[in-house]
Amino acid sequence: MPKVKINDVEVEVPAGTNMIEAAAKVGVEIPHYCYHPNLSIAGNCRMCLVDIVGGRAPDIACNMQARDGLAIRTDTPAVKKMRQSVMEFLLVNHPLDCPICDQSGECRLQDYYMEHGDYDSRGIEEKVSKKKRQDIGDKIVLDAERCVECSRCVRFGDEVTGTGDLRLMNRGDHTEIGMFPGERLEHHYQGNLADICPVGALTNKDFRFQRRVWYLRETASVCGGCATGCNIQVCHQEGEVFRFLPRRNDAVNKSWMCDHGRDQVPEIAGLKRILRSRVNGAVVDVEAALIALAERLKSAKRVGVVLGSRATNEANWGLLQVVRKNLKSARVFVVGGNDPGSVEYADALLVDADKNPNSAGVALLAAYDGQVETSEALGSAMSDLDVLVVLEDDVLGRLGKSAATLVYLGAFKNKSSEHADVVIPVCHSVEMDGSYINRQGRVQRIRRAVNAAGDSLPAWLVMERLGAKLGSAPGTGMVAAAFNAMAKAVPRMAGMDFKALGEAGLLLAADPSQPEGGDARVETSV
Amino acid sequence: MDFPRILSGNWETPNSHTLPVARSLGVYGRLEKALRMQPTEIVQVVKDSGLRGRGGAGFPTGMKWSFVPGPDKRGGKPVYLLCNADESEPGTFKDRYCMWKDPHLMIEGMIIAAHAIGCKVGYVYIRGEFRYIYDRLWEAVHEARAAGLLGNNILGTGVDFELHIHLGAGAYICGEETALISSLEGFKGQPKLKPPFPAVEGAWRAPTIVNNVETLSAVPWIIEHGAAAYKALGTEKSPGTKLFSCSGHIRKPGVYEVALGYPMKDLIEKECGGLLPGRTMKAVIPGGSSVPIMTPAEVYACTMDYESISTVAGSYLGSGGMIVMDDTTDLVAALANLLRFYAHESCGQCTPCREGCGWMYHILCRVRDNCATAEDLVTLKDLADNIHSKTICFFGASAAMPVQSFLLKFKADFIARIEAASKGIASGTHIAPPSPATVGA
Repeated sequence: MPKVKINDVEVEVPAGTNMIEAAAKVGVEIPHYCYHPNLSIAGNCRMCLVDIVGGRAPDIACNMQARDGLAIRTDTPAVKKMRQSVMEFLLVNHPLDCPICDQSGECRLQDYYMEHGDYDSRGIEEKVSKKKRQDIGDKIVLDAERCVECSRCVRFGDEVTGTGDLRLMNRGDHTEIGMFPGERLEHHYQGNLADICPVGALTNKDFRFQRRVWYLRETASVCGGCATGCNIQVCHQEGEVFRFLPRRNDAVNKSWMCDHGRDQVPEIAGLKRILRSRVNGAVVDVEAALIALAERLKSAKRVGVVLGSRATNEANWGLLQVVRKNLKSARVFVVGGNDPGSVEYADALLVDADKNPNSAGVALLAAYDGQVETSEALGSAMSDLDVLVVLEDDVLGRLGKSAATLVYLGAFKNKSSEHADVVIPVCHSVEMDGSYINRQGRVQRIRRAVNAAGDSLPAWLVMERLGAKLGSAPGTGMVAAAFNAMAKAVPRMAGMDFKALGEAGLLLAADPSQPEGGDARVETSV
Repeated sequence: MDFPRILSGNWETPNSHTLPVARSLGVYGRLEKALRMQPTEIVQVVKDSGLRGRGGAGFPTGMKWSFVPGPDKRGGKPVYLLCNADESEPGTFKDRYCMWKDPHLMIEGMIIAAHAIGCKVGYVYIRGEFRYIYDRLWEAVHEARAAGLLGNNILGTGVDFELHIHLGAGAYICGEETALISSLEGFKGQPKLKPPFPAVEGAWRAPTIVNNVETLSAVPWIIEHGAAAYKALGTEKSPGTKLFSCSGHIRKPGVYEVALGYPMKDLIEKECGGLLPGRTMKAVIPGGSSVPIMTPAEVYACTMDYESISTVAGSYLGSGGMIVMDDTTDLVAALANLLRFYAHESCGQCTPCREGCGWMYHILCRVRDNCATAEDLVTLKDLADNIHSKTICFFGASAAMPVQSFLLKFKADFIARIEAASKGIASGTHIAPPSPATVGA
């Protein structure tokens, strides 16, 4: 690996690393607009110009690959002046409409002006005016005047979605970002355009003017929209979630997420949430519902339980333990497929056809238990069952039938919850901690961002309290303990620790029942 | 000075653009010899000749050719030879004569160059405004193909070469080699980042050599007479002859071929017939509009070669587009006019050039119109410095150098406008700096 020097600090980086990334490794931030780690190098913003020690002329760090002996400086007066002048050029035709611009607070023009610009304005010429407030897609509004022509969105369309929709038209200072006449953004990744736009040119219709970003707090989590498990930041303020942003994880979703994932935000506090427990249609508190549920389970002869492919590993582990410890004769099932009303779209990029975030986790538990039965078995056993306990999956919707007594534990109203005798609300993924296993076999953490809606409890806590009422608690009262117990028991999770899952998650060990390379532990092809 | 007219020798012969006449003048006479040489031999001869790129940068041609990776190192990719016939630098009009008068000489040069670099398909990228030459080039290609000079197994040597003529859409920047490649590929004509350099990864990501029309047209003579004969012409570092496009306030504007190292004074006074009667020289732009301007004193001390113009005047030989300006010239208006061109032609990719060229133009308009202050001149100089060499391609420097050099060498002209502005004197282009009497009034 080549050794390079940034401001006299030596660092060893993999061959091919560019100097923006190399500098970041030693804590030196090189400002940039056009560079994006998951897009090709454009080199046009000129903000990352640095001095090369012993070099003839300054050059851009983004297109400079680490090689042995390369030494750059980012702290010289020349570099300072270059950054200042690039800021001056960028702003000379910028409308400076920050007070009405929704990018304020997360705008690279603002940030870099304060850090690297800070000059007295000499811009007395008339500014070039361009088209504002253009509706270019279902999710995006374009303001061409605010654009810094970095071409990130152009490259996103060319390289990620392959739609080639946005283009830089015209030349010189009349260069303008735009769409071809009469065309609109048609792809399912529009939200990313607003994310990668370093300024207020592309803003997200769903989020703009909802909240100034400096009020928002961010919690690192995972999207629950499908089996891909895109890493996200949940942006929230005072218990309200305002948006999901993709969080970079090159092994899963790079820096992207789909619009369907973002569309979940309004559902969090939407009318379809289950807020109160119900027994036979009457609203009761959770404790009363749990007592009623325990009674039903104790008196029933034939109990069926469905593990939840939308629920966390901890909740499923808890449910399995409750059954195996207390209800020896109960049968456990896994139901495939998606809930009715799920998004039907899927593609090869990120959106998986399986809309359940934890199908792999459930499959893993089923393999561990060895006696978990399939949808077909449940279908034929249904009429024999006295009580069917369902965790999150809309079994009635998916299979079209249910047992005599249906118990539903979930966050959203659906066909199962409507017909259930006992309903207990559980937390949405942004309201609790836990873990999912995505389609690659990557164990990833979700984190609590906001308080639970209504009487919702984390499903793993519901299991703990239910188990206690049945005689033996599963030990899932604390999320980390639940996960660690599961990791200790399941061989493919050997050595995993909840706190050590980190931001990027951990891959399961190879599946011994599959031929080498035959398991699903592959990196996505984003 | 006595020297052979390597490039323009056939221009006066009627119908020199047709194949029979061209052949009677010796064009294609060197082809078979060249095609029977080893490619490396040709590269070596051109290297030894010291031929430098005539498009403006003056890069050694043989060295450029030697950068093409060998057949075993290019992963099955073809090699492309592109002839840069975009000739877009203001003040330059030599390539159009080469192509109009002697297209077969250029084609012969291209076939030899293609053989040297292992290329089977070449393109001539010709600027959109040269539509009439475009037609003539195609005619020449068809003639050559019918005569077995293009196509497979040229002259029975086993060498294959196909040539296509591609008409651009008329953009200055498409004369920059990577922008030319972008445009040829069908994309917006914008320069690409280097590295990778075109010789390694150019058109369609294959090794590509881009040479100027004049450069390629010089190759057959070098093959015929040898490297030493070519090197004997011109100066040590600038061998050979060069075409100079001479325009401006001279009696005989036109294209003149002289050996490099020819005194600039002689070029103006002998070849070009001197200035118009009763005029004195104010300034000369020696190598196309983007190179720094020269004062008369520098002109008289200079010879026309790469090193003299650089050391004496801090300017460049460039493409050899010499623009002579006499004492009637309003240099402020001239510079504003130049910047209008650059602001219009900036491809809009890099921040400093995109925003800066327009900005400089607006300031210059105010200076020209007697509406500027002394601070504006400081800003102007600063902007030019902030653009120069801060961009992907050389365009930024091309726009900055005129501003820097005009302000450095002819500052008085600009100061006069500022003073006029401060005294509220009405503007008007093409006015001489106000006389003391006017200022007093």
